[in-house]
Amino acid sequence: MSQNRPGIGQYVLLTLLAIVFLYPIWWAVSSSLKPAAEIIASPLSIGELTLDNYRAMFADVPIGTGFLNTAIVLLVKGGMTMVFCPLAGYAFAKYDFPFKNLLFGVVLLTLMLPTLVLIIPLLLEMSALGWVNTYQALILPGSVDAFSIFWMRQTIAAIPNELIDAGRVDGAGEFGIFYKVVLPVIRPGLAALAVLTTMNIYNDFVWPVVAVNDTAHQTLQVVLSTLAQNVTGNRIGADFATVWGELLAAGSIAMLPLLVIFVLLQRHFINGILAGSVKG
Amino acid sequence: MRLRSIRLTPYVFIAPFFVVFGAFGLYPLIYALQLSFMRWRGGSEARWVGLDNYLYLLTSPEFWSSLGNSAVMWLLIVPIQIVAGLGGAVLLANAKLRLRGFFRVAFIAPFVTPLVAMAQVWIVVFDQDYGLINYLLNMVGLPDVGWLTSTAWSKPTLALLFLWKTTGFAIIILLAGLQAVPGGVYEAASLDGASRWRQFWSITVPLVRRSMAFLVVIQTLAVFQMFAEPFVVTEGGPYGSTTTAGLYLYDHITASDLGTGAANSFLLVLLVFGLSLVSVRMLRPKDEVS
Repeated sequence: MSQNRPGIGQYVLLTLLAIVFLYPIWWAVSSSLKPAAEIIASPLSIGELTLDNYRAMFADVPIGTGFLNTAIVLLVKGGMTMVFCPLAGYAFAKYDFPFKNLLFGVVLLTLMLPTLVLIIPLLLEMSALGWVNTYQALILPGSVDAFSIFWMRQTIAAIPNELIDAGRVDGAGEFGIFYKVVLPVIRPGLAALAVLTTMNIYNDFVWPVVAVNDTAHQTLQVVLSTLAQNVTGNRIGADFATVWGELLAAGSIAMLPLLVIFVLLQRHFINGILAGSVKG
Repeated sequence: MRLRSIRLTPYVFIAPFFVVFGAFGLYPLIYALQLSFMRWRGGSEARWVGLDNYLYLLTSPEFWSSLGNSAVMWLLIVPIQIVAGLGGAVLLANAKLRLRGFFRVAFIAPFVTPLVAMAQVWIVVFDQDYGLINYLLNMVGLPDVGWLTSTAWSKPTLALLFLWKTTGFAIIILLAGLQAVPGGVYEAASLDGASRWRQFWSITVPLVRRSMAFLVVIQTLAVFQMFAEPFVVTEGGPYGSTTTAGLYLYDHITASDLGTGAANSFLLVLLVFGLSLVSVRMLRPKDEVS
């Protein structure tokens, strides 16, 4: 417990844990590069490498469309989060105004609102608006979310007021102060917000699977899930192995972009979670 | 003029949230409440039925079994995650640990992977006839296990997916709590002759209580809403054993039984809020009870 030099036992435990966490990812990616029949025949060995699973997968499912749709949603919805949530967080952290506590209470309450309760009425709202199978439906709900506001408020509250007053004395407008004084100071927090937002939008599944049923607007995760549902229908002979190969190829290719972003920005990401969480 | 603009500024800054929340949060919420008192199946006219949907659910075996499935999942996930998360956090907390950065990244990597992608990997790895896990079991002379095909194993197998994916997140959250502990506290305690076990219970656990409460609440919300795991991996089977509360709610949508679905979601919200309140109360430090 105390800050002694950690013993060998601690390293053994940590290494075992790391293997448990990393092996499924490694196994999925490495197996996706093996001939499909080999995944079944010898799941542990890695011999011949091939891109056959990827070719078959690209031929079978519109994964390119999935990536494109996810990218569109990510840019617009993520962009809205990155612009509006720091602004709202700034207002809650550094201004005094009537009903501030009440309004912030509403923000916190919506944090507790489970997505599931909204799904059915949101779906009906979308169909009343004629928005089923549109980008608006994928982008607008949840585009300025309570968690990001709450978290930006915490980050911005840590900035000394003197810094903001100095900006005001220099004659900057209210938005100018936000843009020129606040934003540069919270850059690490913004980077973490960007990673978290990217992750949430990229991995989002429940709402996209309900809001969209045509192939043209399906996001990556929805495309992947339709592929998975083919498995149960194809549990025979060679087809079976082929579908497995395709599943692992699709899973790997969907995993990699986020893993790469994560490894590049992991310091921001982890510090972001650390800063945003409740401390003892 | 200038003062006036400052007075309006904060409202302008927070307006986007309230516009989006009003249109896609509050409005559907009120609509859902109204809908939960109506019968609306397929193409038929919606009509007011009072509490019928709620009574129907409360007397329906499927509703209770979906809650039961979620409750079992909760038991399989939350206590294990808290213990494993705390263990992992304690192992990582030492500043003199080498490769600390690597371990942090390794533990949280699963949290970053898309759930649907990993759910697919689970289908392949836990397949009864050709999966990796049974292959390994056979290698050491053990028989096949129907991980996803037997009602006894389907829930633990899905729970394992959830645990694998989110325990790294729990470790980091608890680590944040632990790092708030000044190092000197432990040194003083060991000088006073407190054993490591004693130090753990008297210093570490009370300090991360708040983080634990936070974790229990968000994971309770997540487990009772669990949807993608059973949707992709088991489709709720075998024999409904993995039809979680979240998946059962989705069944109302596919069956175009929206009134019942709305009522179901409110019952679920009440339950989740109740559970969250209870867990916060139980995890609150004793001196704060008022």
